[in-house]
Amino acid sequence: MTTAIRAKGLVKSFDQQQNALDSVSLHVDSGEVLVVMGPSGSGKSTLIRTFNGLESLDSGELDVLGIPLDSNYDERHIRRIRRRVGMVFQQFNLFPHLSILDNITLAPIRVQQCQREKAEARAIELLDQMGIVDQVSKYPAQLSGGQQQRVAIARALALDPEVMLFDEPTSALDPERVKEVLDAMRRLAKGGMTMVVVTHEMGFARDVADRILFMDEGKVVETSPPNEFFNNAREEHSRRFLNQML
Amino acid sequence: MLLKPAPLKRIKRNLFSSPFDACVSLLLFFLVGWFLSNTIHWIFVVADWSVVLHNIPLFAFGSYPTDQQWRPILWLSMISILFALTFLAPRQGLLRKSLPLLWIFMLPCGVCLLAGGIGLLAIPSRSWGGLTLTLLLTICSASLALPIGILLALGRQNSLPVIQRSCMFYIDVMRSVPLIAVLFFGQLLIPLFLPHDLEVNRVLRAVVAFALFAAAYIAEDVRGGLQAIPNTQREAAVVLGLSQPQILQFVILPQALRIALPALTNQAVGLLQNTSLMAILGLVELLGIGLSLLANPSFIGRYLEVYVWLAVLYWIVCTAMALLSRHLECQLNPTAASTQPS
Repeated sequence: MTTAIRAKGLVKSFDQQQNALDSVSLHVDSGEVLVVMGPSGSGKSTLIRTFNGLESLDSGELDVLGIPLDSNYDERHIRRIRRRVGMVFQQFNLFPHLSILDNITLAPIRVQQCQREKAEARAIELLDQMGIVDQVSKYPAQLSGGQQQRVAIARALALDPEVMLFDEPTSALDPERVKEVLDAMRRLAKGGMTMVVVTHEMGFARDVADRILFMDEGKVVETSPPNEFFNNAREEHSRRFLNQML
Repeated sequence: MLLKPAPLKRIKRNLFSSPFDACVSLLLFFLVGWFLSNTIHWIFVVADWSVVLHNIPLFAFGSYPTDQQWRPILWLSMISILFALTFLAPRQGLLRKSLPLLWIFMLPCGVCLLAGGIGLLAIPSRSWGGLTLTLLLTICSASLALPIGILLALGRQNSLPVIQRSCMFYIDVMRSVPLIAVLFFGQLLIPLFLPHDLEVNRVLRAVVAFALFAAAYIAEDVRGGLQAIPNTQREAAVVLGLSQPQILQFVILPQALRIALPALTNQAVGLLQNTSLMAILGLVELLGIGLSLLANPSFIGRYLEVYVWLAVLYWIVCTAMALLSRHLECQLNPTAASTQPS
């Protein structure tokens, strides 16, 4: 099995007092679903944002799909990574002035020089998979949060990424909308997509994750399979966190 | 559901609900009536409109040669037709898509028609005048000022300190100089610096001066729009692999300009009215025609008629611009655009 992401000693700090990332090392195999959990402010989002260069590194080494990345912040390497790694944000970040169809086809047409007809056919196929093909000509503001997030997933998938990063994809949703997004992600995981998911959804983590990485104060506390993590976590930290959540 | 009361009841409720209200209403009725009757009396009885009626072509085209006046007429009617089309064209379809191009085409079309040269009799710019010149000045300087303003606004956000500082410097200097000074500089001083035989067209000099001045204000309006775009939009675009110019073109600018549109309309209306300053500097645009007519002995003392007429003309053009901008805002509003069945 090949490795999709390998990180060694990642360090990142926003201010002098505390490191957002404190020598984090990890690896993600291709086809694996890694769920990152931890209390807020523990550096989960910062961690996955380093994977596609949204945050620069202070030190440490990253290897994403065979492309090296370190504190030098090489723009060319980052662009090569971004072409192969999709990302879904907490706040959806759809383009409000473009229709759903244009939101999805913008990058395939402008970045991959795809023909418009082909890109649109692919977009409709993806929207169909997400169960929202009837919304194709609407605008983001006319959709519910759950629908918008599914469009965001389709938009990322339109570039045929090899790895998908999810940064708290359900945290901004109404509770009754969470399931439809998680179901879409479940189907994606079943299809063999390599996924790194930052989430607080215990059920999703238990069912879908291959491994759970628990972070606190910028450090990796433990990495375990979900069974082990939820039933008898190794570390005191994780147990306390789980007690609060459940 | 609230039932609509009968008209009489409504009048009673809105205007005469208490003795005090009734007094105020009556007083206002009296004042408005008095004002209206005086105005109407002046318009139809006192005023002598011959100064306007005899000089309609002069107001419209200035001293443009009579046998060539079909050219400005053609241009003005093309603009009017395009204006009507903009409101009447269906929301989707080829016509709607080609409207922006047609509007942009009006600029070179107007310049070519007025100046002539290729197959047409060349008319020097000193015979241009009236409403035609006012519109030409406004359209030319606005379409020159907008791109400069956008570049300045983007430059102000640039990470290179040299570019950022020089854009800020330009904007601050231009905003601290009165427009009339910029125009004087363009009309009177620049010819002194240029060699004798090189004469730059006076209209062109005015257009450049207006554009450079307006660009500073437009830059600040656009900057307001740019700042309203959350950084997450940029992040989303970056993650999709779009390059910096593509992010600007497809994600940032369309949203920023839409936010800045009301402020930009303000600038355009202001620009139109500011073109009247050129009357002082020897271009006979609308106000210039008015001034030269008033200097004519046969129309002596007809100030009120001429200025009321000019006010009406400016009001019509400004209202047209405001309507156009409101229509554009409506068109660009994504939720309104999709109410149309697809």
